[in-house]
Amino acid sequence: MRRTFNNLSTNKQVKKVLSAVFIYCILIIVSAIFFFPCLWLILSSFSKTGSLYDIEGFFPKEFSFDSFIKLFTDTSQYNYPMWLLNTLIIAIFNCIFSTLLVIGTAYTISYFQFKSRKGLMKGALILSMFPSFMGMTVIYILMTQFNIVNNIWGLILIYSCTAPLGYLVQKGFFDTIPQSIYEAAKIDGATNARIFSTITLPLAKPIIVYTALTSFAWPWSDFILPKLLLIDKNNWTVAVGLMQLQQNEFSRFAAGSVFIAIPIVVLYFFLVKYMVNGMTAGAVKG
Amino acid sequence: MKRFFKNIAIKTNNTYVNFINFFKVSNINVKASMALMGLGQLMYRQIGRGILYLAIEILGIVFFSLYGFHWLVGLITLGTVEADPWTGLEGDNSVIFLLLGLMSLTLLILFIALYISNVKDAYKTSLLVLKGEKIPTFKEDLKDLLDKKFYKTMLFLPLLGTLIFSVLPIVFMILVAFTNYGDTVLPPVLVDWIGIDNFVKIFSLGDIGPTFFKILGWNILWAVSTTLLNYVLGLLLAIILNKKVVKAKFFWRLFPILAYAIPGFITLTAFKFMFAQGGPINQYIIQAGGSAIPFLTKDGTWWARIIGLLINAWLTVPSVMLLATGILSNINNDLYEAARIDGAGSFKQFKDITLPFVVFATTPTLITSFIGNFNNFGVFYFLRGAIESDGYFASNDTDLLINWLYRLSIDNTYYSIGAAISLIIFVITSAISLIIYIKSPAYKKEDTFR
Amino acid sequence: MKNFKHLFVIFATLVATLSACQPSVSSSTTSSSNSNTTITNPSEDDPVFSKFTGELERNVEIKVVENDTAIKMGYLDELIEAFNEEYKEYGITAVDANQGEFADLPNTGPYGYGPDVVYQANDVLMGWVQDKHIMPLPTHLIEAYQSDVIPQTAHEAYKSVNNNVNYTFGVPVNIQSPLLYYRKDLLPSDWQETWDDNDNDVPDMVENIVDLYQFSLQYHEQDNSKYGFEFSLNDFYFTSGYLFSYGAYLFGENNRDDTDIGLHQGNAKYGVQLLRQFAAQMSPACIDDSAKLAISGAMASGKYFASVTTPDVRSVIVDALATTYQDEEGLTSQEAIQKAEENIIGVPFPSLPSNGDLINPSEEMIECKQMGGINGFAMSSYTKYPNASLAFINFATSYKMVKLREEIIQIAPCRSDVASESNELSQQLFEKASNGSIVLMPSIKAINQVWTPAGSFMGDVAADPSRGSNAKYDTLDKIQAALEQLSKDIYDAIHLLS
Repeated sequence: MRRTFNNLSTNKQVKKVLSAVFIYCILIIVSAIFFFPCLWLILSSFSKTGSLYDIEGFFPKEFSFDSFIKLFTDTSQYNYPMWLLNTLIIAIFNCIFSTLLVIGTAYTISYFQFKSRKGLMKGALILSMFPSFMGMTVIYILMTQFNIVNNIWGLILIYSCTAPLGYLVQKGFFDTIPQSIYEAAKIDGATNARIFSTITLPLAKPIIVYTALTSFAWPWSDFILPKLLLIDKNNWTVAVGLMQLQQNEFSRFAAGSVFIAIPIVVLYFFLVKYMVNGMTAGAVKG
Repeated sequence: MKRFFKNIAIKTNNTYVNFINFFKVSNINVKASMALMGLGQLMYRQIGRGILYLAIEILGIVFFSLYGFHWLVGLITLGTVEADPWTGLEGDNSVIFLLLGLMSLTLLILFIALYISNVKDAYKTSLLVLKGEKIPTFKEDLKDLLDKKFYKTMLFLPLLGTLIFSVLPIVFMILVAFTNYGDTVLPPVLVDWIGIDNFVKIFSLGDIGPTFFKILGWNILWAVSTTLLNYVLGLLLAIILNKKVVKAKFFWRLFPILAYAIPGFITLTAFKFMFAQGGPINQYIIQAGGSAIPFLTKDGTWWARIIGLLINAWLTVPSVMLLATGILSNINNDLYEAARIDGAGSFKQFKDITLPFVVFATTPTLITSFIGNFNNFGVFYFLRGAIESDGYFASNDTDLLINWLYRLSIDNTYYSIGAAISLIIFVITSAISLIIYIKSPAYKKEDTFR
Repeated sequence: MKNFKHLFVIFATLVATLSACQPSVSSSTTSSSNSNTTITNPSEDDPVFSKFTGELERNVEIKVVENDTAIKMGYLDELIEAFNEEYKEYGITAVDANQGEFADLPNTGPYGYGPDVVYQANDVLMGWVQDKHIMPLPTHLIEAYQSDVIPQTAHEAYKSVNNNVNYTFGVPVNIQSPLLYYRKDLLPSDWQETWDDNDNDVPDMVENIVDLYQFSLQYHEQDNSKYGFEFSLNDFYFTSGYLFSYGAYLFGENNRDDTDIGLHQGNAKYGVQLLRQFAAQMSPACIDDSAKLAISGAMASGKYFASVTTPDVRSVIVDALATTYQDEEGLTSQEAIQKAEENIIGVPFPSLPSNGDLINPSEEMIECKQMGGINGFAMSSYTKYPNASLAFINFATSYKMVKLREEIIQIAPCRSDVASESNELSQQLFEKASNGSIVLMPSIKAINQVWTPAGSFMGDVAADPSRGSNAKYDTLDKIQAALEQLSKDIYDAIHLLS
């Protein structure tokens, strides 16, 4: 009897170890798949020629910092630090405004039962189906009428205003928050505005972080709209500038591209803990 | 058809009769509001409300007499004097006319809606007075906006933004589909309304129809498969990373995040070169004595499609994982405890608790990402933008409708044709996704997990 | 169902109203030349020129769009400084518009954000003429045209007909054309004996393509990772010349008539056959743009002996080669750059066998035509200072500035007085541009619809040798049929929807 029990437990342990090994194998493979192209880009930006293209095979043989030094010091024609600053400003304000608007919209549509609610939901879905660049010329002309072309605030305005249409993902999150939490607060006499700021927002940390991260990351990669709206080179975002560099200065292109990743990764470092421990056990019980 | 018109006639008649009755029963204050916005409210001593409505009416009248009316006329004519930049003659810009006319029309509709709401409001107050109830003060109105009507406060800005930057451009493009804007007709040349000519052209011209259907087929296949692939992979990754055995989660998550942090157009440029004919992969193949594989060339239809699928997964899986991670952390731990007490194994726990919860919370993601992927411009624009396939009108066999549209309307400046095609696509895709959405549990049973 | 019907009626009424209120069709201003009307040159008092009073606007700023290379090499600074000095008394200053070399005049100009003066290639500038974004220039007030130093062909590239008047829209500055670049130090050491049959001191393999082909075979045989001649065939700017040499053309009537696409005309198929034969000796990098992207590294390492690219890429190749010299031969960076400058040589495309066959070439050789462009200055129609802008254009296209430009950027000038004093390559290019061997890019908008289909086709031709028995272009008949289809596709892209 005792022996079988022992066997059973070792069996279980072996199984556990095996499954752990299996999981780690998967993780290593997945990480390699994600890391390899990044590593390729990073290493080629450090290569002596600075180009992805003139290397035999994947990796360069010689390294240097030249591309990065040039990127930040030789600014007379391609003002990368300026572009970086512009994009950072756009990203930060877009992150704040878009997150506020999207979270507000998602919460409202998830929580309130008002008359035109389902209509709005369907409408939003249909609107987001329209190919966005078809409307870009109109938006440009609209901005010329408002006189906010060639201005990063115009871009922030457009990004923030179009963000709430993508509320659906966030609404899915709010749909999982138990109603009973709200009801308890209501009995205590809290207004809806108060409930939103004191109960909903803290509960929604993971989705707020997700929204903030995605809206922060977007301006770094969008280039069609900013190319149209930001005319002066000093107002460009990194994406627009890099698209231009790609044509004739590949070394700076690679270095500049790798550098973009830094702010986003840094933000992730800061936010990750809120994301994973958003709703710790015990804080809320439905 | 006859019955249809009869119905309309009856309906209009009813509305008319209703209105007459309404006019008869309404008291003097309501009538005052009908005559002048806010007057009735003022007579009820609702000063704040009354002044607001009055201000709207004054603003409205000033606006329409100064600009709005002109703009509406411009919407119909689209300009009458052709500008000549050479001589400096400042003529009419049809595109601006169309835009301003549309804005004016929107404001007119808004104004009428406000006018009606003003009358309704006065009527409601009159009922309250009849019942002998207290008329809410302006302060109470404002307070309500933070509580019962909090949704109005919250949705005001998003709706305004959406109206200006999403609805307006879309309606604009729909209108453009009925004009001859594009090709040789670009400002300063005046644009005209041409009815449904563009649609007739699309379906009657040789190569365009077949190209449309070929691309549509591939587009649907692409959108479904890439959405499912990204979703499943992202979810699996999040679940694996969420397991207790995995130590240093932070470290493992870093790699997908890094992939996410490098902008898509940059990685796409790199991937394009990776699979190019002279790229590293083909270099290794040639060094090993093989011959280059036509990954992304004209011959590489299915290679390019599958590579596109995988690259898109590489680009999007990290964000799906991020989202799913956030959602997983939100599962109520009590559920697991209860299950453990019931003796459920870890697989059973996963199947019965984790999976349904995550799937429920992320179905909206599926829908948004389906839409996003249906209109995924970047992947094939970067990978195969320079290629045109035989039997396709100005496009290739991996192009999605949006890429085709781009080639037609931006590269070749056929704006009105592009608008007409996007209108057709728009109708098809929104019908599909609306049906899927309405049938989805996330829409039908929103409170499953409440 | 009822709802649907409802929608339909609304739709139908909407359409009816829209088509009902259709105002009279405005007269179009396209520059199509009608055969029974006479086209005249503009007179000096043409109303279009009324803006040019000759009185300079004072204390104004002229925004100039220049070429990125010109900015990088410091030419623009010199130009602006010299101009500002010259016009100091009027308070006119020129500045870099700072919008990038691909400034989007059609989108910025009408709304007041555009530049005043733009430097670009003739196809770009003339593409904007149809919508009147570019101002017709009074040639009688332009020094370059008055002193008769601009070749007729280059002037033609800047002309466009409007209301039967043949206006001029720009002033040429230099000639742009792809060139064949090769590594002089990789020539066989005894090339003067073995590869110079005509004893003209120019290696035969860069003079005619048959010898280049032979040399490529030999070069590849010595080291099978190396290629004698390799370039991206999918770039139609590089390959079109091979078709033109055998009688093809882009548009009829001197590249003005976009209803006549002539890529299949003459013996264009010979050009395709020849490229297909050569592609068999190239690495697969010639099928897409990998060869173009990898050119600097590949030439520096000797992987390519010769390749084709545009002159602005030369400095990148020189830099890469200098780095190699520094590492391998221990030269200082100064020496290395000087050595690299001496060894990267650009020449016009080598001549072709008249039968278009590299394997059994004919004795008779023909000159290889190549596509090119005329870069020059034009004025935005939206400028508020036409007279000051004109003064700038006159200044920037003067003998002095064109010469300075050539010295700094090393680019072939388009003024006969500068060209006659410049190096051999520049003279050759000037000659070719004047006599039509450089086929100038069409100055009509329709050119935009040519690059992608034609480039895609040539890339497919480059891929053909590797198809083996499934080859699509292995006979002249197949090639002819494919070229006819290509011409038709381009025609459709331009006209089907308009």
